[in-house]
Amino acid sequence: MSNALSIRSTIHCDVLLIGAGGAALRCGAEILEQMPTARVIALTKVSHPQKSHTSTAQGGLAAVDPKDPMDATIFHMFDTWKGSDCTADQNVVKKICESAWEQILWLENRGMHFSRDQQGRLSKRTFGGHTRNFGEASVYRAVFEADRTGKGIMDTAWGETLKRGITFINQAIAVELLMENGRCGGCVVFQQKDGEFVRILARATVFASGGSGQVFQVTTNCRQNTGDGLALVLESGLPVMDPEAVQFHPTGIVGPGILASETLRSVGGILRNQAQEPFMEKYAPKMKELAPRDLVARAIETEIREGRGIMNPDHNIEHVWIDLRHLPQEVHEKQIPEVTSFFKRYVNLDPRTQLCPVRPSNHYHMGGIPTTMYGEVQDKNQGVIEGLYAVGECAAASFHGFNRLGTNSILELITMGKLVADRVVEVLAQTPAAASEMTSSHYREKMSGYLEHGGSESLGQIRFELRALMTEQVSVFRTKAGMTSAITRLHELNRRVTQTKISCRDLKMNQELVQRWELDNLLAVALAIAEAALAREESRGAHFRDDFPERKDEYNYHTLVSMDRFGEIELGRREVDMSVFEAGGEHHEQFSIIERKY
Amino acid sequence: MITTYQITLKIHRYDPALQKHWTQEYQVEAGRIMRFVDVLRKINDEQDPTLAWGSSCEHGQCGTCSMKINGKPLLSCELLVENAVDFFNTTTFEIEPLEVAPRIRDLIIDTEKAYERVDRVKPYVIDPAPADHDDVEENQISPEDLERYVDATRCINCFCCSSACISSHRTFLGPNAMLAAVVRVMDPREREKQQRLDVLYNENGVYRCHSSKACSFVCPKEIDVAHFIALAKEGL
Ligand SMILES: Cc1cc2nc3c(=O)[nH]c(=O)nc-3n(C[C@H](O)[C@H](O)[C@H](O)COP(=O)(O)OP(=O)(O)OC[C@H]3O[C@@H](n4cnc5c(N)ncnc54)[C@H](O)[C@@H]3O)c2cc1C
Ligand code: SF4
Ligand code: SF4
Repeated sequence: MSNALSIRSTIHCDVLLIGAGGAALRCGAEILEQMPTARVIALTKVSHPQKSHTSTAQGGLAAVDPKDPMDATIFHMFDTWKGSDCTADQNVVKKICESAWEQILWLENRGMHFSRDQQGRLSKRTFGGHTRNFGEASVYRAVFEADRTGKGIMDTAWGETLKRGITFINQAIAVELLMENGRCGGCVVFQQKDGEFVRILARATVFASGGSGQVFQVTTNCRQNTGDGLALVLESGLPVMDPEAVQFHPTGIVGPGILASETLRSVGGILRNQAQEPFMEKYAPKMKELAPRDLVARAIETEIREGRGIMNPDHNIEHVWIDLRHLPQEVHEKQIPEVTSFFKRYVNLDPRTQLCPVRPSNHYHMGGIPTTMYGEVQDKNQGVIEGLYAVGECAAASFHGFNRLGTNSILELITMGKLVADRVVEVLAQTPAAASEMTSSHYREKMSGYLEHGGSESLGQIRFELRALMTEQVSVFRTKAGMTSAITRLHELNRRVTQTKISCRDLKMNQELVQRWELDNLLAVALAIAEAALAREESRGAHFRDDFPERKDEYNYHTLVSMDRFGEIELGRREVDMSVFEAGGEHHEQFSIIERKY
Repeated sequence: MITTYQITLKIHRYDPALQKHWTQEYQVEAGRIMRFVDVLRKINDEQDPTLAWGSSCEHGQCGTCSMKINGKPLLSCELLVENAVDFFNTTTFEIEPLEVAPRIRDLIIDTEKAYERVDRVKPYVIDPAPADHDDVEENQISPEDLERYVDATRCINCFCCSSACISSHRTFLGPNAMLAAVVRVMDPREREKQQRLDVLYNENGVYRCHSSKACSFVCPKEIDVAHFIALAKEGL
C-alpha cells in the first residue's frame, strides 16, 4: 500500500490554480490573455469545471454602470463598508467597486447571456443593502442572467480558458502545499481517476478553492465545500482570517438546505413553531417576519433550542414551519413560483395547502486566507508568501468584512480574479523561468495513517455529529458556554476519527479516502471558527454573541487564527484598512466607524 | 400517509482493479422525501462505504448526479423516494451510470470524456464582435432576439439527453453539444459563422438526429432540445 502512496510523477507549469470555479477561471483566462504561451493548470474536485459551486449563484452581480445618472461608485463602496459592519478593508473595497463595470463588460463581450432591457442593454435589479446617496433609497445595481447568474459567469469564463488552452485536471485534489523557507512551489495532488499522487511544481500557485459550508449541517453549499483551502493553509503554518465571520440565510429548505428566498416573508409568509404559534411577534413585535435576516435566523434557532421545533424524520433535522397557505393564489403563482417549485421538487409539499419546513442555512464564509489587495497570501506577521495567492470565497482580502451584501461575492470573483492575474503576470515576468524543486513532507504519512487505522467508529456518524454540533452551538446563536462545550466536543471527535477504517483498499476513485481527508479539514476549520468566535466577545455583522450583543470598538480588527497542529491555537490581529476615510476626500466621513442600521 | 418505504436498489457496480462488473442489491428503509442522493449517502454511511457515486450542488443546477434509474436518465438529486415509487410503480429500482462515457468506478463515469463532444463545438465566442463604442458600452441585444435562443443557454450538461438519444452513441456529437453550437450561431456577438456551420452540418452534426424527441422528454431542465435541433436542420 505505501508504495501506491508515493509520488508517481512531477508536472511543471507556470501557474497552478487550485480550483476551477468563477474566481479561478476568471484569473486563468486573464493570465492566458496576457501570456498566451503560459502553461496554466487548474484543478477541480468535481468531475468538470462547470460543476463547481459558482454555477449555483442565482441573484446577480453588483456593479455601478457609469452611464447610470442615479448611481455612483462611491455609493457602492459605502454600502459595502456599512454592510461589512466596518470591517472590510477600504483599499480593497475601492479597487473592486471601481473596476466592477469593466469586468461586467469583459463577461458581456465574451458572450455571457445577461438579461436585457427593452433597449437591449443590461437589465438591473435592486438588492438588499444596495442604495444610492448613502442609504437614501434602494438602487438598480445588480446585473443578472435570469436566476442563473453564476452559471453565466462559469460558462463564459470556462469557455475563455478552454479557448486559450488551459489544462484542466478534474477530480484532482490538492492534498499538500509545497512550502520551503516561506515560499510556495506548488502542491501534491491526488488524482482520483487514476488513484495516483502527483507533484505539481508551479512558479505561482493560486488558491481558489471556494467555501466551507459543509462544516454546518444545514447549508446552501455544495458537497465539495469542505474548507480544504483553509485547512491546507493552516497545516502549512499560515493563518486564516476572520473564520468566525460566517453568514446564514434565515430560511433554508430542510433537509437539503436549498435557499428559500427572502420574498417568502415579504409577501406575508408566517413562521410557526411546533404548536403552530406564530412566534416572530415575541422577538420583533413591530416588524415580525420582516425583521432583518440575522434577527429572524436567531428567533428560529431560539424556538428550536427551547424545544419548540419539529423533527424531520427523513433528514433527522429540527426545523420550524413557514406558513404560506393563507396567501392568495395570485401571490403563489406570480410572486413566488420558483420557491413553490423548490418545495414541491425537494420535499414534495404544496405550499398552497401545506406547512413547509425551514431552518437557517449556512450560506457564505466571509473569512478565509488573508491576502493583500492583489491576492498575495500573508503569513502571521503580514509578510507576503512568495509564489502563493488566494482569490474567491476561500480568500479574505477583505471585501466583505463581517457581513457580505448579496451580489457582492460573484463580483469579487471576477474583479479580484483579474487583479490577481495582473499581479501573477507581473511577477512571472521578473522571476526565473523554472519552478523550484520542492519535496513533500507529510501527505504520505497522513494518507497511510487513514488507510491503516482500524476501529468501529463510522465516518458518516462523526461527520453528522460534527455538523450538527456546529449548527447547534456555533451558528447564528453563539454563547461562551455553548462554544466552550463545542470546542471540547470537537477535540473528542478528533480523537474518535482515528478509530475509523477505510474498507476500499484500491486508490482509484476511492471516495472513502477522500471523505476521510475532508473530515480532517472540516474538523480543523470548525475548530478555527469556534475558537475565533469564542475570543470575539462582541457582536459584529454575521457574528452574533447572545452574551455580548453589541459591537465594541476595541474589536475593530481582523482575527488571525493559526493552528500548526490540531488544537494548538494561536490568535493574532490585522488592522482594518481605512484608507478611504484617512485620505479625507469628498464624503470621507461616510467611511468612518458608523452604525449598521437600516 | 406512508412515511417510510422499504426499497430495493439494484446497483450496477464496477471495480476497476479487478475489472469486475456485478449488480448488488441493497435494502434500504427510506424516508418518503429522501432524494436518491440521500439514499445513496445512507447506504455509504450504514451499509457499504465502498459504493462510489457522484454529486455536487444537489439541487439540480450542476448536472453531476445524473444516472439511469429504471432505464430513465435523470438527476438523482431531484428524485424523491415517494415520487419514484409513484412514477415507476414499484419499490425496486435498478440504478446504472449513464453510458455516455467510460466508467471509472461503480456509478462514476469519466465525465470529461463525455464533455469532449461539447468541447468540439467550441462552446465560446470564437471571434467576438468588438463592443459598440468606447469602453463603457455593452453590445445591445434586444430581449426578443435573446428570447429566441435563451432556453438553449440553460443547459447544464448533465448528458441525460445524450444518454436517451438513440443516435448519439457513436458518430453524433449529441443533443447538448448541438445546443451549445446553436447558441453561438444565433448569438449576434459571434462573427465567425463558417466554423460554426461546419460543426453543425458535418457528418457528426444535426443530420444524425432522427427527430425522436427523446432529448426533450428527459431533459431535467425542461429544455425543448429537439426544437433547437429542428431549427438547425431548417438552417436556423
Ligand atoms: C445557492 C447560492 C446562491 C448564491 N447566489 C449568489 C448571488 O446571487 N450573488 C453572489 O454574489 N453570490 C452568490 N452566492 C455565493 C457565491 O456563489 C460563491 O461565493 C462563489 O461562487 C464562490 O466562488 P469560488 O470561485 O470562490 O469557489 P467555487 O465556485 O466553490 O469553486 C471552488 C473550486 O475549487 C475546487 N476545489 C476545492 N477544494 C479543492 C482541492 N482541495 N483541490 C482541488 N480543487 C479544489 C472545487 O472543485 C471548485 O472547482 C451564492 C451561493 C449559493 C450557495
Ligand atoms: S430528437 Fe434527435 S437529438 Fe433528440 S433524442 Fe431524438 S435523435 Fe437524439
Ligand atoms: S439539454 Fe437538458 S438533458 Fe441535455 S445536457 Fe442539457 S440540461 Fe441535460
